[in-house]
Amino acid sequence: MMKFAAAFVVFLFCGAALAGPTPAPANAYLYIGWPNDGQVIIANGKPFRVWFGLRNMGVAPKDVKFPNTGHHHLLIDTDLPPPDQEIPSDRNHLHFGAGETETMLALPPGKHTLQLLMGDDKHIPHNPPIYSKKITITVK
Amino acid sequence: MRTALIPAALALAVFWTAPAFAAGTPAPKDAYVYFIWPSDGTVIQGGKFWVRMGLRNMGVCPRGVALPNVGHHHLLIDTELPPLNEPIPSDRNHLHFGAGETEARIELPPGKHTLQLLLGDQDHAPHDPPVYSKKITIVVQ
Repeated sequence: MMKFAAAFVVFLFCGAALAGPTPAPANAYLYIGWPNDGQVIIANGKPFRVWFGLRNMGVAPKDVKFPNTGHHHLLIDTDLPPPDQEIPSDRNHLHFGAGETETMLALPPGKHTLQLLMGDDKHIPHNPPIYSKKITITVK
Repeated sequence: MRTALIPAALALAVFWTAPAFAAGTPAPKDAYVYFIWPSDGTVIQGGKFWVRMGLRNMGVCPRGVALPNVGHHHLLIDTELPPLNEPIPSDRNHLHFGAGETEARIELPPGKHTLQLLLGDQDHAPHDPPVYSKKITIVVQ
């Protein structure tokens, strides 16, 4: 009985590690199709297109539970959020819960960082989290 | 009571005989599916390549899920558009990406090939209006 209780406690502890409930598909590869790292974008105040690249995994809208899927989140000028919670939704964390695979983005002139992060049906990162390289762009 | 039945019956008859074509899942008029890569005329060395599927003003969603303004990709290889009022066939010329994929690793033998994207709804049927890309031609060397 003690052995079982001990094992159960260990199991609970492992389960409580900082990670979301949805497993990440093997070999999932998330990347920003465009712009590229270091790109200088002559936007002239207009929005520009950002392409979301995803391999070995599928896109599904929010609240849809389907194996090996998630929806895109674009992080702007911010670090990765805590991996065990719902990704915040604000001007630095754009959610694409309708299954979008690209967007038009308007940013003020200057240096900005962009990074993609997949969220599951409840906007929680996968386990382990699936995120792209963080890129730096200059908007003119 | 009786006189009211006749126009009701007429209305029902009109509805009943309405063509099935118009009954597809609606798509927004500005929905646009396209190839991010390859482009028309791209020459590919070696035969294996990633097809990158672009979609604007609509979302990607796995098969079997009925939600507005979404669909999943189908890649037509060396074939014409199928009948647009039926589910898209599933075979070597009509690849389905019902798990919501937006890229696929494709291998083709040397020669000229045509590629075209066609969006399908939860039952793999084209939308209304149908959402399909330009048909592009690539050369595999």
